[in-house]
Amino acid sequence: MAVTLWLAAISYPGRNLRVIACDVGQGDAFLVIRGKTEILVDGGPGNKVINCLNNYLPFWDREIEVIVLTHPQADHYSGLIEVFENYSVKYFLANALDSSSSNYSVLKSLVGGSQTVIINPTSSVSMRLDLIYLDILSPSSEFLADNSVTTYEQKDRRTKELYQTNNGVLGAYTSEQDPNQFSIVAMLSYGEFDALFTGDIDNKLSDDLAEIIKQKYNKPLEYIKVPHHGSKNGLSQSLLGSSNWKIGVISVGKNNSYGHPHQEVLKILGEKDIKILRTDEMGDVVIATDGKNLIIPEN
Amino acid sequence: MRRFLPWLLVTIIIIIRLIYFYQGRPSYPDGTRLRITYRVTSEPIRYSSSQYLRLRGFKVYLPLFPEVNYGDRVIIEGRVDGEILKDPSLIGIKERGGNLYYLRKRLIAFYQKSLPNDHAALVAGMTLGSKANIGQDFWAVLKESGTAHVVVASGMNVTLIASFLTTFLVLVIPRRRAIFLAIVGIWLYALISGFDAPIVRAAVMGSVAFTAQVLGKVYNATRALFLSAFALLFIKTDWLYDLGFILSFVATLSLIIFVPKLQKVFKALPKGIRENLVTTLSAQIGVAPILYIAFGQFNVLSPLANILVLWTVVPVTIIGMISGIISLVTVPIGTLILWLSYPLTLWFISVVNVFG
Repeated sequence: MAVTLWLAAISYPGRNLRVIACDVGQGDAFLVIRGKTEILVDGGPGNKVINCLNNYLPFWDREIEVIVLTHPQADHYSGLIEVFENYSVKYFLANALDSSSSNYSVLKSLVGGSQTVIINPTSSVSMRLDLIYLDILSPSSEFLADNSVTTYEQKDRRTKELYQTNNGVLGAYTSEQDPNQFSIVAMLSYGEFDALFTGDIDNKLSDDLAEIIKQKYNKPLEYIKVPHHGSKNGLSQSLLGSSNWKIGVISVGKNNSYGHPHQEVLKILGEKDIKILRTDEMGDVVIATDGKNLIIPEN
Repeated sequence: MRRFLPWLLVTIIIIIRLIYFYQGRPSYPDGTRLRITYRVTSEPIRYSSSQYLRLRGFKVYLPLFPEVNYGDRVIIEGRVDGEILKDPSLIGIKERGGNLYYLRKRLIAFYQKSLPNDHAALVAGMTLGSKANIGQDFWAVLKESGTAHVVVASGMNVTLIASFLTTFLVLVIPRRRAIFLAIVGIWLYALISGFDAPIVRAAVMGSVAFTAQVLGKVYNATRALFLSAFALLFIKTDWLYDLGFILSFVATLSLIIFVPKLQKVFKALPKGIRENLVTTLSAQIGVAPILYIAFGQFNVLSPLANILVLWTVVPVTIIGMISGIISLVTVPIGTLILWLSYPLTLWFISVVNVFG
């Protein structure tokens, strides 16, 4: 009996890369898995992200290689508290932008007390994990320099030292700007497959991003996370025109009070004949690829 | 008549205590602002967006963070509204520094880091009675399937500890001293596991049983049960309303009464199945009506669910305890041992999900 149970319990993750838009309600949490390598982009509100990790990670894999927090807003970071309590995390990519929320302080102290390496990425940073590449496209260091007010003078000496030596640190500055503007935008590539994670960028940043993408990527791109849960102030025509996107994924809560996703956004996606996949309609949205072919779920 | 005299005395004392309790209880009109400083004496329950604790008879729902743990000293301010303290704010929190509290936290963190969350919560619940990390969905499923009692560390854990300690200690030291140490061990465990009512009840009963052995007296379970109930109510009168206390008391009583009878009824069944079935049914006879009154629901299939999962409790508890102790020395080996429990918890969770 016990042996049979054991055999049933042991499973090895496949060789394909999977991009999973976790159904976390009104917020973002994207999990990328290939073999034993995991990248988590944002943790959503509440702690539903934990169920998502449970469902797709083998039980013995207790380490997440990279977590990206696009920007410190509750619908993107809250779930990460539970994630850091349950998993060890190798690299944490996040802005040094602070949030006044007490929950964010909990996250900061949790990360600070762990073995995790913090990286404050700017648009020049690229990483490679296994066969997965991660290019950071935004924010630029110029934007950060112009829009941040360092607060570390009043903070502890360690924060100051870390920030000055270019090491990663959390909560080193504040800003007058909307935290959405600080969203870390990342292009993830595996073989010929490319996925763009856009956080909560607005129309203007979408336009800027379109320029960067046209310059940098001279090849077809497949997957775009529709910015800002499909808000009108997010996806722009030019960003959609920057490549021949196949799939647009919208992470959004059922009957949310913001009216996301906006009709306008659905319309322009439809005009370009991009397949729209929504977490409020489908639950977890799982895309699998071997680096060439795509497996896309029907909705 | 002489036999009943001590009981009469005890009953009178308890009645006096209850009267004293009700008269001594301050009453606050609705809307009163209160500031309560209190040591958290049982573990808060965490929901998806709040954590629930009971302070001096008031229900308090706090935001999820900062986390309040068993043993912490908290200062909470709020407005009285019936039995709820509305708009509570956590003004101060001081973590309990003691070794036992630290040990408990460390073990729970070890389970959490080594297993997926429902599995970790199950192991932490079975071994330490920790309810804090059971997700809301999982908790609902446990309740609906009638198996929630498993994760509230129960008297069974105390029995397990006691028999483990005595068998082990008798090998190295004289019997009397071994039993004395076993009693100490039981109470240490009661402290680590959050000092919840069911555990304390079992600890009192266990201590009575052991003392009877040392003194060479006959141990009478029914008598010990009532004695421990009276003693607990004398010290912690508000447990009269603690569902855990009531359920633990009633379940034990109905085990004492019905197990011997049902054993005869199901004589024909093979031993392994019979034990589980008889224990489950006996406990359910007493517990079901109370659950129905308290929650307004009763799952007819819950005895079946219990029979299917109960056998995993003892091995999981033992694996949880051993791996936990080893993890204090070396985490990787502790983790490997803990993983032995994974198929069992997987079975548990799958079955419960079918019934819940």
